[in-house]
Amino acid sequence: MRRTIGLTLIGLAMAGSAHAAGETLNVGMGSADAGKLDPHVATSTPDKGLLHWMFNGLVRIKPGEASPADIEPDIAESWTTSEDGLTWTFTLRQDVDCHGDYGPLDAEDVVFSLNRAADPDISAFADSYAAFESVEATGDHEVTITLKNPVPSLLGLLVPYHGGNIVCKDAVEALGTEFERTPIGTGPFMFEEYQPQQYVKLVANPEYFRGEPQIKEIYYRYIPSDSSRDLAFQSGEIDMIYGKQDQTWVERISEVPGTKVAVMTPGEMSVIHLNMTMPPLDDVRVRRAVAHAIDRNALVEFKGPDVTLAAVSPVPEGNLGYTGDVPTYEFSVEKAKALLAEAGHPDGVTIKAIHTTLPGMLTTMEAVQALLREADINLEIETVEHATFHEQIRKDLSQVTHYAAARFPVADVYLSQFFHSDAIVGKPTAVANFSHCDVADEEIAAARAETDDEKQLELWAEAQRKIMDEVCAVPLVQSLQLWAWKDTLDLGVEVNGSLNLSPPVTEAARFVE
Amino acid sequence: MTAFVLKRLGFAVITLFAVLTIVFFIVRVLPGDPAMAILGDQASQAALNALRARLGLDQPLYVQYVQFLGGVVVGDWGVSMVSGRPVIQEILKVLPATLELTFVSLVLGAAVGIPLGVWSAVRRNKLPDYITRMASLLGLSFPAFVSAVLLLIVFAIQLRWFPVISSGQGTTLSDRLRDLALPAINLGLIMAAYITRVSRSAMLEVLNQDYVRTAHAKGLAFATIIWRHCLRNALIPVVTVVGLYLGILIGNSVLTEIVFNRPGLGKLIIGALNQRDYTMLQGMMVIYTLIVVLVNLITDLTYGLIDPRIKYS
Repeated sequence: MRRTIGLTLIGLAMAGSAHAAGETLNVGMGSADAGKLDPHVATSTPDKGLLHWMFNGLVRIKPGEASPADIEPDIAESWTTSEDGLTWTFTLRQDVDCHGDYGPLDAEDVVFSLNRAADPDISAFADSYAAFESVEATGDHEVTITLKNPVPSLLGLLVPYHGGNIVCKDAVEALGTEFERTPIGTGPFMFEEYQPQQYVKLVANPEYFRGEPQIKEIYYRYIPSDSSRDLAFQSGEIDMIYGKQDQTWVERISEVPGTKVAVMTPGEMSVIHLNMTMPPLDDVRVRRAVAHAIDRNALVEFKGPDVTLAAVSPVPEGNLGYTGDVPTYEFSVEKAKALLAEAGHPDGVTIKAIHTTLPGMLTTMEAVQALLREADINLEIETVEHATFHEQIRKDLSQVTHYAAARFPVADVYLSQFFHSDAIVGKPTAVANFSHCDVADEEIAAARAETDDEKQLELWAEAQRKIMDEVCAVPLVQSLQLWAWKDTLDLGVEVNGSLNLSPPVTEAARFVE
Repeated sequence: MTAFVLKRLGFAVITLFAVLTIVFFIVRVLPGDPAMAILGDQASQAALNALRARLGLDQPLYVQYVQFLGGVVVGDWGVSMVSGRPVIQEILKVLPATLELTFVSLVLGAAVGIPLGVWSAVRRNKLPDYITRMASLLGLSFPAFVSAVLLLIVFAIQLRWFPVISSGQGTTLSDRLRDLALPAINLGLIMAAYITRVSRSAMLEVLNQDYVRTAHAKGLAFATIIWRHCLRNALIPVVTVVGLYLGILIGNSVLTEIVFNRPGLGKLIIGALNQRDYTMLQGMMVIYTLIVVLVNLITDLTYGLIDPRIKYS
């Protein structure tokens, strides 16, 4: 009896906050604090993870999915496109309201938002909107977008992910620099409060056009220590937890009773870029030898089969435009050694990599190092702190660059950023082409402008084949996104993926008994 | 006394200036910059350059330095390069939480450490002495973040007496204490380990002095000899060490705050370092330097309270 009383008291103490249990969602995120909460400025995973619960786009990817094939209407209820693919006209819903007292959302707000997303002085994503000629309100609830040239996925630019988040013009203008701390959108949840280093609190938007959310409050808590976050989940202080990309994390958190673990796309793809201008990697035979020496199955086994996928193409599986039909290099130490001998290196070669100290990436690279050693390829790894790593690889200092990235899942993005010659590091237009690859420029550019879907897919596939034939890079594995939540939390959708890398919490999410 | 304090404050200004200069240049010599942290790794070179220009990072270093020093003199520490919020506001918002934690841990450390040290010295080479010495060695060698996780597992998960997430923001006293308890115990025990060892050796030295034998000979009560005569004389090295170790305590508080998820300077500095937030790092260094300088001053002034023979001139 005494124990029961004690437990009850503790239970009361725990549940002591404002709302009844079952209406408050506590989320544990793995960062020390909020960064920027302006959707056109925020780039980090922790910030983006929160924003898609507050904002809408003209269109969206069906909640729970991450593929552009699942695009559906959001603020726009329908759209038409001209034959040349250069003019797009969107008809907006008329029942969309901005959070707070900022009134109904109309075409002016959409025009303002998209122009803001394209403004390099404000937006972190302006580059993506370079092909926009104009965005005009052609009616109170009609918006027309005119393009300078066709883009691979216009609808992809309009989902609430990067620049596609629609903000409310009056709010941005009234709040000025405060907007960054007081984001105003149209989504199911509204910004309520920010406590530095503690949490951002969201509340349900009673006017949400898809209906009032059943969850009334969300606390998005910043808990940077992995072990504390796990313990807080275990103790019940948080209901939903951002996971470590690690098989052992999945195994450990699954042991907490009543836990649902979600493995979501898009994955973060690990690729080793081989610098084709630096000997001995300027010889394609050496690059092929490297590809033959890496056993992807062993890497998947090492990283955890539940949380990783083997990668064969430089574009991640699941992306629009991905093909698995590329030249592959089966794992064979003999073939690797033979190729090296043919290239004039019978005693093997030494190649050097500058690498980040981030443990998740470093262990992968150390496994690659061990595999390569079997084939007499000596991979020297010089580790530097993460920011230093990013700076040095962009100065073209590393012969071998291991890069892990998650991108908008259209083939064009990976191909343009990592394999088009415009993106070669050191150039003024540089992005992340560390290998100096230029073998598929033609196909990448042609695919961007191609309006016929079939032909576009074929161009992308051809680009992937050429890149793999030349081995500009060796794709390793895709690490999927991991989250877990209590099984009493029903998100109302099946969760396979999330562009913003956090689970979709929508009007449909609720706690069940 | 006033002259002494003024002179020390004068030195403090020089120290501060030196620290600021060093920090200013070190953070900029480090590779990596805030533009990349803000725009993410997909940003084009052109976009990065544009942002650097907006942040003033494209200016020659000496121009940035002069602007920065000018700002500090008039109390303008700039805005965080990453969050865009004023640095001083960000720091002052969380500083009280760190000070509260450090102060309580210090008191806890002294309250446990001094009596244990004295006891251990009096029972030298007996069982209590061995146990105390072992325990304090354990305390010294235990990393703060490991003991923190252990405390959480026992008291927050198994016993459920305390929350895992200590908000440090409770409005009632009992809420605040509940939030503070585990982090303060974690830091306090480490501090106690240091203080125990210093008190023990200081006491041992005093116990062998002639006046102690005299006190025994004239029949003073044992407790009076130990607590009134010996301890007071043994306190000077203890205070010195406490002052010095406060730096270590603040360092450990960074780790403790992160594991217990308390707001404070710890979370701020980790974020600022990772993102190369130059202005924030500079602001934090000013604060840390000020704290260390102030603590040293207070330590020096405490000597006079313990031993009236000490004169400040």
